Amino acid sequence: MLELFNQIEEACQFIRGHWNQVPHAGIILGTGLGPLVEQIEAEATIDYEQIPHFPKSTAVSHRGRLVCGNLCGLPVMVMEGRFHMYEGYPLKKITLPVRVMRHLGAQLLIVSNAAGGMNPYFDCGDIVVIDDHINLMGDNPLIGINDDRLGPRFPDMCAPYDHVLINKAMEIARSNNIVAHKGVFVAVAGPNLETRAEYRFLRAIGADVVGMSTVPEVIVAVHCGLRTIGFSVVTDMCLPDALEPANVAKIIATANAAEPSLRSLVMGVLDFEFQRLNTDNK
Amino acid sequence: MSEFDCAGQVDQSIEFVRRHCSIQPRAAIVLGSGLGGLATEIEHSVSIPYADIPFFPTVSAVGHAGNLILGQLAGVNVVAMQGRVHRYEGYSNDQVAFPATCMLQLGARTLIVTNAAGGLNPRFRRCDVMAIDQHMHWLWNQQNQLRDVECNVGVRSSKSCVTSQPDVRVARSNSPYTENLIQAATESALRSGRILHRGTYLSTLGPTYETRAEYRMFRAMGADAVGMSTTPEVLAATRLRVSVLGLSVITNVASTDLPQSTTHEEVVDSSLQAEPLLKSIIGDVVRDLVQA
Repeated sequence: MLELFNQIEEACQFIRGHWNQVPHAGIILGTGLGPLVEQIEAEATIDYEQIPHFPKSTAVSHRGRLVCGNLCGLPVMVMEGRFHMYEGYPLKKITLPVRVMRHLGAQLLIVSNAAGGMNPYFDCGDIVVIDDHINLMGDNPLIGINDDRLGPRFPDMCAPYDHVLINKAMEIARSNNIVAHKGVFVAVAGPNLETRAEYRFLRAIGADVVGMSTVPEVIVAVHCGLRTIGFSVVTDMCLPDALEPANVAKIIATANAAEPSLRSLVMGVLDFEFQRLNTDNK
Repeated sequence: MSEFDCAGQVDQSIEFVRRHCSIQPRAAIVLGSGLGGLATEIEHSVSIPYADIPFFPTVSAVGHAGNLILGQLAGVNVVAMQGRVHRYEGYSNDQVAFPATCMLQLGARTLIVTNAAGGLNPRFRRCDVMAIDQHMHWLWNQQNQLRDVECNVGVRSSKSCVTSQPDVRVARSNSPYTENLIQAATESALRSGRILHRGTYLSTLGPTYETRAEYRMFRAMGADAVGMSTTPEVLAATRLRVSVLGLSVITNVASTDLPQSTTHEEVVDSSLQAEPLLKSIIGDVVRDLVQA
């Protein structure tokens, strides 16, 4: 397991060969949320295929490249296309890019995903600022020998998502007339969507939205010391007493329609980070 | 690896142990995180490092020494595991249960398991001890094939083993945990002026501690304590129809409303503080075994 450290080094070296800035934030874009990338003053675009040890993307609507550049005055690395456990990747592979971001100097991880809404007060197209999560994937990216150079054996998870940024995101939503809720995200393995009984169970255990990603990346972010903020776009409502068959095209369309709102939140958070950095430096 | 091979591995391990010590243990004890000091109570002891025993997994977790100890406790022959391995180290349930299975195959008819666990029941306090009377085994065996390939050089694979089949059902009338052992432990604690809790232990993969949402979920499910071990050994004991006593040291009481971080140092510290009580309970219970 100690070879993971070397893999991270090799991936970083390769990326540094194409881009030599120290990123402030790493951003992982979920299903249908790719257009944010157009806002970036891109300095380097690297296909995952080229980067040593990076997994290769296969899901529909996920591109498969790393876009490095500036956004809101801050150097960022954006993953356009992410990896899922249901594709068969080991969690250590899926989360390697997060470790690479950290190794290159990132302080913050911004994750987004498309999720099923279970809280009946939510609606399609709403944004959920993830306040907490439940891991029901049946696996954990930290299982194995712990390399103390990367992080502690038993990371505490009492607050995986940065509460200052959560509050800031809610404030930005209010100012921009965006419907956003704080909520609990539950991660399942997938790839099937859930049964009604499963939705009732997930709701009963306290989850507001459900998805098939994100939690492994967040666990690794906590492990390696990255602050995290996560956003879910509610792409379909999963109310067990009125459940409709899922329509993938509709889900992607909803994600696309919500994308401008998500983009405002992400850029608002980055603006806030930029201001914080510049105030601290005075 | 076939079932036959796993049983073969157990036989080889036991043969090695018997060459070093021929005592027939009456009870087997698993000493969990921070509880390894209990081993000092064992008299006339022989200590064998796991590293020497064929097919025993190597221990890497802090607070786990990694020795098999045979000797006498309260005048009774016992075998004890000073340290265990966990799923979060990359082992499968079979591998985790392997040392305990060997102890039981040495002839022990009672298994005493200890662990450090996060308290979910708001009645619990740090350093309290809980007798386990039910468990929820959330140590899903998923991704094992990948894990054996990916992680842990030197871990021997035992893909299918007589000890661990995912859907063996315990007869509904029998909990894996033996009621009269819980009684004996309760009475022992009272004699020390302490109250022994009882409750449901839930095992999760770890190694992360739980999020607050996960604590709430576990509480809602009815778990009283949560940890990252124990159930594989208990399930192995159940299949071998061995009596089981489980004792959890409550190392922190999960705060679902106030973010309060947990550290491994706190966990080990709570275990050390509960050690005297555990020593006396285990001593009394073991002593009673031969008097029964």
